[in-house]
Amino acid sequence: MTAPSLVADYVDVRNIKIWLARGGDGPPLVYLPGTDPEGEDPSLELLSQDFRVYRPHHPGFGRSDEDPAVDSVLDVAFRYLDLLDALGLDRVYLAGLSLGGWMAAQVAVLAPNRIAKLVLVCPAGLRPPVPVPDLFTLDPVELAMMIHHEPQVRRAAVNAVSEMPGDPERFTRYLRNRAATAHLGWNPYMHDPKLAGRLHRIGCEVLIIWGAQDQLLPPECALAWQQALPGARLELVQHAGHRPQAEQPAAFTALVRNFLS
Amino acid sequence: MKIFGFHLMPYQGLPADHLESTDSSWVTLSNTLFDPARGHALYQRYISELVAYDRAGFDGVCVNEHHQSAYGLMPSPNVIAAVLIPQTSCRIAILGNALPLRDHPLRVAEEVAMLDVISGGRIISGFVRGIGAEYHSFGMDPSMSRDRFYEAHDLIVAAWTRPGPFEWYGRHYKFRYVNPWPRPLQQPHPPIWSPSQGSTETVDWAARNRYTYLQTYSDIETVRRAFDGVRAAADGCGYTLPPAQLGWALPVCVATTDAAAEAIALPALDTLFNKLIRMPKDLFFPPGYTSAASAARILAGKGGLGSGGLDVRALIERGFAVVGSPETVRGRLEQYQKELGFGVLCPMFQFGSLGHEDFAASLTMFAEQVMPELRALGEA
Repeated sequence: MTAPSLVADYVDVRNIKIWLARGGDGPPLVYLPGTDPEGEDPSLELLSQDFRVYRPHHPGFGRSDEDPAVDSVLDVAFRYLDLLDALGLDRVYLAGLSLGGWMAAQVAVLAPNRIAKLVLVCPAGLRPPVPVPDLFTLDPVELAMMIHHEPQVRRAAVNAVSEMPGDPERFTRYLRNRAATAHLGWNPYMHDPKLAGRLHRIGCEVLIIWGAQDQLLPPECALAWQQALPGARLELVQHAGHRPQAEQPAAFTALVRNFLS
Repeated sequence: MKIFGFHLMPYQGLPADHLESTDSSWVTLSNTLFDPARGHALYQRYISELVAYDRAGFDGVCVNEHHQSAYGLMPSPNVIAAVLIPQTSCRIAILGNALPLRDHPLRVAEEVAMLDVISGGRIISGFVRGIGAEYHSFGMDPSMSRDRFYEAHDLIVAAWTRPGPFEWYGRHYKFRYVNPWPRPLQQPHPPIWSPSQGSTETVDWAARNRYTYLQTYSDIETVRRAFDGVRAAADGCGYTLPPAQLGWALPVCVATTDAAAEAIALPALDTLFNKLIRMPKDLFFPPGYTSAASAARILAGKGGLGSGGLDVRALIERGFAVVGSPETVRGRLEQYQKELGFGVLCPMFQFGSLGHEDFAASLTMFAEQVMPELRALGEA
């Protein structure tokens, strides 16, 4: 779902069409979604009150083109640098959620001078220090149950995925997202063993936000990020699972806004 | 008709309640349930049963590859094929090596060529993708399964047929030197078979390459649809499909009467279909293993193979297995052959929990009272 004040269309990025929602006024904030770029996210609308928000569908995900150059999150990061060029954005705020957090960290490692501040939300990318569930063995309903904490949001999310087969195009895009996620994160499971040793290249301030009740990537995972990024600030969002942006949009956007202002 | 005896080598002796704490006989079923001493006895028995197919006058035997499961004890079909070479004189069909699961397809080219040379040219080389669960078990990206399958196949056939050394720089496999020794004895290479559940892509691929297409575990309507698809694809390629290019693999049980055969087969089929082929859909069809459109169809549907609770009697009626007296089995297979036009039959006489005595009796009755009548069919 795209926030009302955001308008989506295709951007040509070196012959790969990337589906991009943009809107709002203010400094540019590139907002990389998780594995399902079409998941409900009320924070987008809130953030567009203070920022010019750019929310792409990752190459190979959602409505974006298949990208034959993409076999890894590192490849995606190079493509996102191409996207910044295509948009004429020299320096941006960068936020990434879950899989998008991994991508955002990788972009900031590659081009630290182009990222003014970095926000990582329940990011994948580092090996969890505790056992975590295998998202690839969960069916869509089980996954929706696991990643949400607040009963009302969880119920709505479960209803949304349960009804998805009734919308074959959306369901096909959802399954395409799952396949594209597998392509990036099947093995090693949702992380890059080399990333931790490269995170020191990130020069900007970093805010890490974690849902206090995240079951997919439990908050203990934040320790691995703090270890590799000693200066990073960590904020836990209470009453939120893996998608604090969807479950506690007011608290979430307040954290982001305060950090970026 | 050519008749090949199939064997899956299932593990027997799982506790009766093994599915109470897990919903899968794959990936996560703990290997602490595997008793190596029992395994030793099972291998001895199963190898003797494969040899029995040869003694019974079959054209060949079939072995296949499965991983981390009680369903079958042949993670390496090439090992079993090697064991069978000195004990048999028939063809040995490896159905097949699961190409995308390998990081090194040249190893397959080498091993199959070795087996072919050692056996004096008796090898049939099946190529499969491996089932979805095996992408979990082997940590292989399922979204690249089909792509890797095609490239590995192209590389293996090139390795067998193009003078080496040559270079290979594909998307998935890169080699500065492709030059395997030995080369296969059969020229240009061992026959290639394509076992499948009937996906459109595989049907087209098999027809285009003129490989024998082998349908496994399907109801008769699915078999018919797949075979019609292969025939149409062959027509599209400008040739008429010979029966020898269509095969069907299925459990078969013969006893003196229909009732006696059912008494033997039903519990064994229940073990096969409801306990051993048992896993949640997300293990069976991991993301990207099928196209998103196929996955949408599969995941939106209820039941099906893997889900358990299947009525095995209904499965027999739908053609998943042929069970009965010699007359019944002969009649059904003759009728199916007439309707479907296949020239290769791969019956498995051991399946699920079926014991050796029942296997031996069923096989003997088939060989003596059914097989002779089938021989002339599908030879056009």
